[in-house]
Amino acid sequence: MSPVNISRRKGASQRLDIGGYLPAVLLVVLVGLVVARDPAFLGVASLRSVAVQAAPILLLAVGLTPVILLGGIDLSVAALTSLCSVLLVSWANQAGITGVAGVVALATAAGAVVGVVHSVAQVPSFIVTLGALGLYSGLSLEASDATNTPLAEGSPAISWVNDYFAGIPAGFVFGLIVLAIVGLMVRFLPWGRYLYAMGSAEPAALMSGVPKIRVRAAAFALTGMTSAMAAIVLVGRTSFGSPTLASGLLLPAIAAVVVGGTAISGGVGGVGRTLVGVLTVTVVQIGMVVIGIDPVLQNVIFGAVIIVAVALTIDRAKLSVIK
Amino acid sequence: MSPLLSIEGLTKRYGRTVALDEVDLEIRPNEVVGLIGQNGAGKSTLLKLLAGVQQPDSGRLVMRGSPIKVRNPAHAAEQGIGMVFQEQSLVPNLTVAENIFLGRPNPGTAGGVYKWRRLNALAREQLEKTGSEISPSALVQRLSFADRQMVELTKVLALEERTDGDLLILFDEPTSVLSAAEIETLFAQIRRLKRRASIVFVSHRMDEVLAISDRIYVMRDGRRVAERDAAACDENELYSLMVGENRAEDYFLDADRKPYDRSATALEVEGLTAEGSFSDVTFSVCPGQIVGVAGVIGSGREALCRALFGALPTAAGRVRLRGEEVTMASPRDGVRLGVGYLPAERKHEGMVAERSISENLVLASTPALTRAGLLSWARESDLVEGWIERLGVKAPSARVKISQLSGGNQQKVVLAKWLALPHLRVLVLDHPTRGLDLKAKTDVYKHVRAAAARGVAIVLLSDTLEELLGLSDEIVVMRDGRVTGHFPDVPDTPPSSEELVKLMV
Repeated sequence: MSPVNISRRKGASQRLDIGGYLPAVLLVVLVGLVVARDPAFLGVASLRSVAVQAAPILLLAVGLTPVILLGGIDLSVAALTSLCSVLLVSWANQAGITGVAGVVALATAAGAVVGVVHSVAQVPSFIVTLGALGLYSGLSLEASDATNTPLAEGSPAISWVNDYFAGIPAGFVFGLIVLAIVGLMVRFLPWGRYLYAMGSAEPAALMSGVPKIRVRAAAFALTGMTSAMAAIVLVGRTSFGSPTLASGLLLPAIAAVVVGGTAISGGVGGVGRTLVGVLTVTVVQIGMVVIGIDPVLQNVIFGAVIIVAVALTIDRAKLSVIK
Repeated sequence: MSPLLSIEGLTKRYGRTVALDEVDLEIRPNEVVGLIGQNGAGKSTLLKLLAGVQQPDSGRLVMRGSPIKVRNPAHAAEQGIGMVFQEQSLVPNLTVAENIFLGRPNPGTAGGVYKWRRLNALAREQLEKTGSEISPSALVQRLSFADRQMVELTKVLALEERTDGDLLILFDEPTSVLSAAEIETLFAQIRRLKRRASIVFVSHRMDEVLAISDRIYVMRDGRRVAERDAAACDENELYSLMVGENRAEDYFLDADRKPYDRSATALEVEGLTAEGSFSDVTFSVCPGQIVGVAGVIGSGREALCRALFGALPTAAGRVRLRGEEVTMASPRDGVRLGVGYLPAERKHEGMVAERSISENLVLASTPALTRAGLLSWARESDLVEGWIERLGVKAPSARVKISQLSGGNQQKVVLAKWLALPHLRVLVLDHPTRGLDLKAKTDVYKHVRAAAARGVAIVLLSDTLEELLGLSDEIVVMRDGRVTGHFPDVPDTPPSSEELVKLMV
């Protein structure tokens, strides 16, 4: 007998799995709207700028997807990206590719620590990562003396992101490769199964011996790693590191995952959907410029988009009380 | 006499499951209506619809001659319908008095501010109706379960003064945790209430339903299958109406019982103690043996089962698997050591409803299906197809969500999850047939016997003593967390139900 729970009564009927086709239709419609306004949008130059713009969001969103599949959230990704940008500039200037690898390793370890703390101390992920957000922001201010640090001329360990691969910006290709690898991991590693099982029904997963700490730690380590990768792409594009470089990317990255159709309550979705979400978010960003809406209002849009997408996809049956 | 409430064609679906199927009932003024049925027959669903906890998909309610809708429990209370919940609806960190008047205009306030003395006095008045001695200013979380049940009842009785017409009071298995004396008090209250209320009484104990009801409705598979006058029927008749078919000759498949290896032990438990649940429990299980654990709620047998799997920490004692001492700090340890646990709450702990049959079936043995760390889909599909066939799971394909299966087939998949574990040695079955129909139960019995025959040691908890006696080779009885009885050879010298009950309560 299920417990008496008022909030459950509408659960099943009000949840929508928008995963299948809806996000893709939305993307096509948005592109259509922008093209109607500016037919040059589908030109090479314009699509390249979409790809350049999308690359860091793509990396962040790919890393966020497994965490959200678990039913968790990582609010620290953008702050970690900013911190990594500061470290990257100074380490790449000194140690080149080794420095870059060091930053990626450090960010991965930081993510793993967050995952372990969340899992072992049983603190909700949004609290742990909110704390981490503050921590990373403070550290990046400290490490940079609150200023922008330029990247030394011709840093090959980073500047490759501005090259083109088969005519596509290399940073975006990099993002696609990472997406493909994470997609394969989700599909072919037991870890992928565990993500969905824990995200859908954690008690049942634990009662089947799923290693919850390892699963969580790996998911958060991955967001740490992709945050550092996003920093590489951003630093390559702007050629400096800054404690606020990525602060505008948290909302678009989360929006990309949920607009793609991955449910914030966990268990439903996947990285393939995230690609659609990232393109949607980027088209909205660029479309606003084309249509002539002040880009300052971007976050108004993304904030609203997150609320609507979550309202449509969240599984209320999983929340005993909605607060 | 015109009915107080007519229920007409009430239907409720949960996804594909039809929980209530066009049910018609009539509740007349000043009568006690008993509602019986097996788990999953739709009794609780029906009560939830009447109390406004859930909304029906179709059908209507007619109260005192006019159609009504019940939007939520507060709305139900306004119309004179109150429910004593099976799972309690009290707020633990408020006082008894606050809880009694919660969710309605509070007579103990002035200008929105509590007048504690007045509130407590009013609560006292209400509490006296049940003859209970509970202090109105006590915090609910400090009360025993039975006391809370009394507060729950008092809360509903307080509706009496608020409505002009007759009340309709719904009791969802109110007696399951009450002592005999408390049940008597409750029955006295129900008889007193009859003067100005109609009562719907749900219980799975037929003797109680017969004792208190005027009329009895029997439900099965979401339908109303029979109506009887309480005075004109007996337990046997109700039982066969409830179950709906007659049982096979060898219901518990005694013929499939295989002699087990008495020289070895698969599981030994010695002096096992868990704070507040059970203490000093000692028993052992041989490979291929089925050991049943008998006990009532609070006996600690559920906790014991969880401890054997690592899902509950223990404070003292030893667990040995095939002679080797082990510690299990989590279910993960249990699984690694070859212990499987079939939980009583299948939907909550047994299955991942949103995932496929295949993913559910291999969830515990996923590591065994990898090659160089990668999942082998071919191996997975071989394993899954094999078990689906062996257990006769009825499903269009292994890819469909487990939630789309019937309860019996879901249970088979959860059972297969453990049977598929390559190194399974001990299987703990916590109420394995709960909520299943007769056919599905028989299937579960068959596969439990088969697992025992291949040498798996089985610890069994059952909803009924009959099932426990029918399946077990050995029975351990528990009361208040301690072992009070031990019957080593059930097939040859079976204990009587009376003997067991005496040790249980």
